[in-house]
Amino acid sequence: MPPLDPDALYREHHTWLQRWLRSRLDNSADAADLAQDTFIRILLHRNRYEIQAPRALLRSIASGLMVDRWRRAELERAWQESLLHLAPHETPSPETREMALQLLERIASLLDGLRPRVRQAFLLAQCEGLTHPQIAERMGISLRSVERYVGEALFHCYQLRYADDLDG
Amino acid sequence: MTTPPSEKLDPRIVKQAIAWHLRLQAGDDSELQRQCEHWRGRHASHERAWQRVCDMQRELGSEFDALPKGAADALETSARRLQRRRTLKLLCLGLLGTGATWTTRESLWQPLLARHRTGTGERRRLRLEDGTELHLNTDTALDLHFDAEQRLIHLYHGEILVVSGADPGAPSRRPLRVRTRHRRFQAIGTRFIVRLNEDATLLSVEQGAVAIDAIPPQRVETGQRYRVTQDEATLLAPPAMDPSAWSQGLIVTRDMRLADFIAEISRYRTGYLGCADSVADLRLSGVYRLEDTDQLLTLLARTLPVDIHYRTRWWVRVEPRG
Repeated sequence: MPPLDPDALYREHHTWLQRWLRSRLDNSADAADLAQDTFIRILLHRNRYEIQAPRALLRSIASGLMVDRWRRAELERAWQESLLHLAPHETPSPETREMALQLLERIASLLDGLRPRVRQAFLLAQCEGLTHPQIAERMGISLRSVERYVGEALFHCYQLRYADDLDG
Repeated sequence: MTTPPSEKLDPRIVKQAIAWHLRLQAGDDSELQRQCEHWRGRHASHERAWQRVCDMQRELGSEFDALPKGAADALETSARRLQRRRTLKLLCLGLLGTGATWTTRESLWQPLLARHRTGTGERRRLRLEDGTELHLNTDTALDLHFDAEQRLIHLYHGEILVVSGADPGAPSRRPLRVRTRHRRFQAIGTRFIVRLNEDATLLSVEQGAVAIDAIPPQRVETGQRYRVTQDEATLLAPPAMDPSAWSQGLIVTRDMRLADFIAEISRYRTGYLGCADSVADLRLSGVYRLEDTDQLLTLLARTLPVDIHYRTRWWVRVEPRG
């Protein structure tokens, strides 16, 4: 692995990365923030990354950060919307709401990368406590498919949960 | 302690364990239960995969249970919108996958599972709201569930020392409990250690008493040490090692077998640490610092007729001197 020189990386690619981000985000302040975060991440975890194709690496890390940001924004919006459907006495306090949002964010990034049907089946099982036959009925699919989907989601979770073990 | 902590399981076995888990969840079926037990018994890796899947499911369960009403909808809606945004703006999902996985692996699972966690070689002390002092040893994960009825410490893995507090703020007496996958334990004004091994929970009481929540309940007195599984609780002989010295950053041994000592030290290191059979039965007594286990090993070579072989920083073996 060629030695990483963060200064050189920053000098050569910062402007380019910021422009790349700006073309995908709605405002340039966000682009500047995310570019900064991307370089910080490389600095902090320098031995984790292989810097053979610097721009591909930067793009990949920046995309991950961008998706994190979008995820939070979408969650916040969806969560506000679903609060509107609750009866007044069910509405949680602002403090509980913020805690719930953090929990939601963690769970949402856990679910990240699951196929939509897999995610849906898994959420029905975990959040609503539906049995597999109930999920099959709700989603209009076979019982076998439900089992396959929920199993796939659990395997995905397993890989994240025990990811450290792969590194030894 | 004979399996290295970083054992990697065959994905096929993990998938089988998940399949068993789902099948058993579907209903009470004693025949299926028997078959599953048979499968688990066929190989150590089956049992290990099974335990991991159960732990994970439990951890997921406690996390999802904490979600308030309306949260499931929000998750589903936002995931769909996120997908759309990605496709529109990034056009390339494959690339994204990698980016997202990096962020995910660093930040997500650890806080998701256990709100209190230590990494390998790390130790931490917490002071809880009720005055209880909690020491976390290396590679430990736990959750706290404190409510009006009880103060529950849910230990997922690792080892804790509990020095129970008086809980002055509570309107009524709330029992202090520790739960592991084997049993629940309840403290009676006390100082005790709970260590969760793969096959059993070890309970050592240093002050006061602890009740093992079994049928019938079993009281463990000061100075006693029990090995607890789902089926039984057995009184153990006094250990060759001070059970709570780690909370002071020390390991204190009395005539301890070298092989056991090495297994103990390996909990504080990543990678492989082992010893040759011919030196396994050497004995050692002393006080060692856990802070720097490399230094500790160097010290070992000075007091015992052994050499420390470093193949890499992460692959270390203790061999007879020669």
